[in-house]
Amino acid sequence: MLKIANFSIGYCLALLLVIFMSCGGGGGGEEGGVTKVVLWEMMDPEEREILDELLAEWNAAHATIQVSRTNFGREQIRAQFLTAGLGGGGADLLFGAADDVGPFSIAGVIHPLDEILGAEYLSRFSEIGFDRFDGHVWMLPTQVGNHLCLLYNTDLIAEPPESLEELVAMAVEQTIDENGDGTPERYGLVFESREPFWLVPFLVGFGGWVMDDEFNPTLDTPAMAKALAFVASLRSEYGILPRECDYQLSDTMFKEKKAAFTINGHWSWGGYDDSDVPFQVTSIPLNQETGLWPGPMISSRGYYINSSVEGERLIKVIEVLDYLNSEEVQIRFADRLGVIPGLKSAFDHPSIKSNERLRASWEQYQKGRRMPVVPEMRAIWDAMRPGFQNVLNGESTPQEAARAMQIDAVKKIAEMKG
Amino acid sequence: MRSFWKRHSQPYLFLAPAVAVMLFIVLYPFLYNVYIAFSNMSLYHLRDLEFVGLKHFRTILSEPAIWAVFGKTILWTVVNVVSHLVLGVGLAVLLNQQIKGRAIFRALLILPWAMPQYITALTWRGMFNYEYGSINLGLKAIGLSPIPWLASEIGAFAAPVIANIWLGFPFMMIIALGGLQSIPKELYEAADLDGAGWWFRLRKITLPLLKPVLLPAAILGTIWTFNNLNVIWLITNQGEPADKTHILVTYVYKAAFHYYRYGYAAAFSLVIFVILLSFVLAFLRAGKERTR
Repeated sequence: MLKIANFSIGYCLALLLVIFMSCGGGGGGEEGGVTKVVLWEMMDPEEREILDELLAEWNAAHATIQVSRTNFGREQIRAQFLTAGLGGGGADLLFGAADDVGPFSIAGVIHPLDEILGAEYLSRFSEIGFDRFDGHVWMLPTQVGNHLCLLYNTDLIAEPPESLEELVAMAVEQTIDENGDGTPERYGLVFESREPFWLVPFLVGFGGWVMDDEFNPTLDTPAMAKALAFVASLRSEYGILPRECDYQLSDTMFKEKKAAFTINGHWSWGGYDDSDVPFQVTSIPLNQETGLWPGPMISSRGYYINSSVEGERLIKVIEVLDYLNSEEVQIRFADRLGVIPGLKSAFDHPSIKSNERLRASWEQYQKGRRMPVVPEMRAIWDAMRPGFQNVLNGESTPQEAARAMQIDAVKKIAEMKG
Repeated sequence: MRSFWKRHSQPYLFLAPAVAVMLFIVLYPFLYNVYIAFSNMSLYHLRDLEFVGLKHFRTILSEPAIWAVFGKTILWTVVNVVSHLVLGVGLAVLLNQQIKGRAIFRALLILPWAMPQYITALTWRGMFNYEYGSINLGLKAIGLSPIPWLASEIGAFAAPVIANIWLGFPFMMIIALGGLQSIPKELYEAADLDGAGWWFRLRKITLPLLKPVLLPAAILGTIWTFNNLNVIWLITNQGEPADKTHILVTYVYKAAFHYYRYGYAAAFSLVIFVILLSFVLAFLRAGKERTR
């Protein structure tokens, strides 16, 4: 009987110990003199390939600091890190997008980098890459841009269009339904037409923006209605954009050379190269109606440090951060994936300056507008999405959708603030 | 007391680890959820929580949109569970016969259950694409018009229902098959001697004797389906089009992890818990009364 009791109690304690240990939520630790640094990232497959090479090189050269990585989807990484971070867990380092700055900093799950790295360290990075929130820098801008560009298949298009009108005309020419079954074998233009991130360039091209300086939504505007009407016309009037064209479909069609133009970011270029699509990058062309350039949202991607990492461990984590942001590493990413480096010395490197795609991407960058990093942006995205989809599905007029977006965004922001 | 403990300590000791774990991983989170349901916890109030009483519950019950979501949740659950039961029992009855290739059919029919939900959902999403999805290509091949599955409210709701029926029937089939194999053959032989037909045997022998195994399976199926986030979330891409395809759990998930409305989402989770608890109690009571 005593044995059974001992076994039960021992088993119970062991189980609870396992549970307590797993409540750490993914952070690293110390083991036999080796510091285990955990990195969570949301990189694309091509980026992960390079990251794995880098981590393998680091781990081979640093026996006492071993780095491992875990990949998450764009949405999951925010929710997971926020949840784990609130409980004092989560990864030591996180590679994410700048729009997480607001939620992470308000929740207190990341370190203000200006305080722990200092101004001199940060001055090595291009000023354009920083998103300050509450007076602090929270993310090290490893990559600058993260923006959309116009891509064209050079087998089909000799010279890029100079205006939106020309883009539409060229896309009409390239839309081909050979067997006349109503489903073109090739479309002129494909892009994710369900996500408002892809609507923003046109919104800017018609003179609009998503929020004012005090972070109030500015969605119910003539510019928004015109942008919505323009994108809807690509499908309903010109037939150059497939129905239900989501990211997956547009990506696949461009890879399979079934589309002449696409709108996508640098993260897709590696995949297109792997699929042997001959393509070039250019800016989304001028809107002659307004005389304005369509401007994609621009932001940075980079590294956050978990606020629970302190003392000796923080020094080691910064060592890893240094390595991942070294000139050599940034040039490797830029050369292979077309990423605009955040480090000044990498940005000015001759191999980067001579890269034609990077030059075109940089031109588009300069026409873009900086994505606000406040948490309200989440409510604005979610308010824009239904209206955008309703217009494309023919269920709302652009004016109705713009009005509904505004009302919804105001409501969602009020709800978020409780 | 001491003699009671001496005589009965063994089962309690055996139960102790499970009880300890349950307390830690079920009861504690549940109580914490109750706590934050009555607080103002959100991204802006993570550490300075204040008691807000029934505020979130009042908001939930007064939002007209939630009743539409609730209606869709009921429809989603009923259509799925009924289809799972009908298909599952039907296929189990067929597979219980002596037919050629029974093992192969059985393995094939279990496949949907063996596939990870995530992969299945995304595959179905591709199949529902308007222009290039295999379902619309099939419809076009037989001369029918393609359906805007993911762009219309009804289509986008029907799409995950279809996918979830495909995903869920094997569970009921396996349960029913196990139940069928435990029914004594003598009952069917006696019915045969009395000249009972197929329909009569199904109604009077098979279904009544399957009931004890199907009842818990149906309750479990209802709870799982009611709380099934993956399928509807992934196929409709988070409630598209225009947030019209939410069920209660996807709605709550969005409130919690998109808008950081933790207090509100916790209160909503309690409402869902009460709905499911009421359903289970009513279902069990109805089952008991019918047995009497």
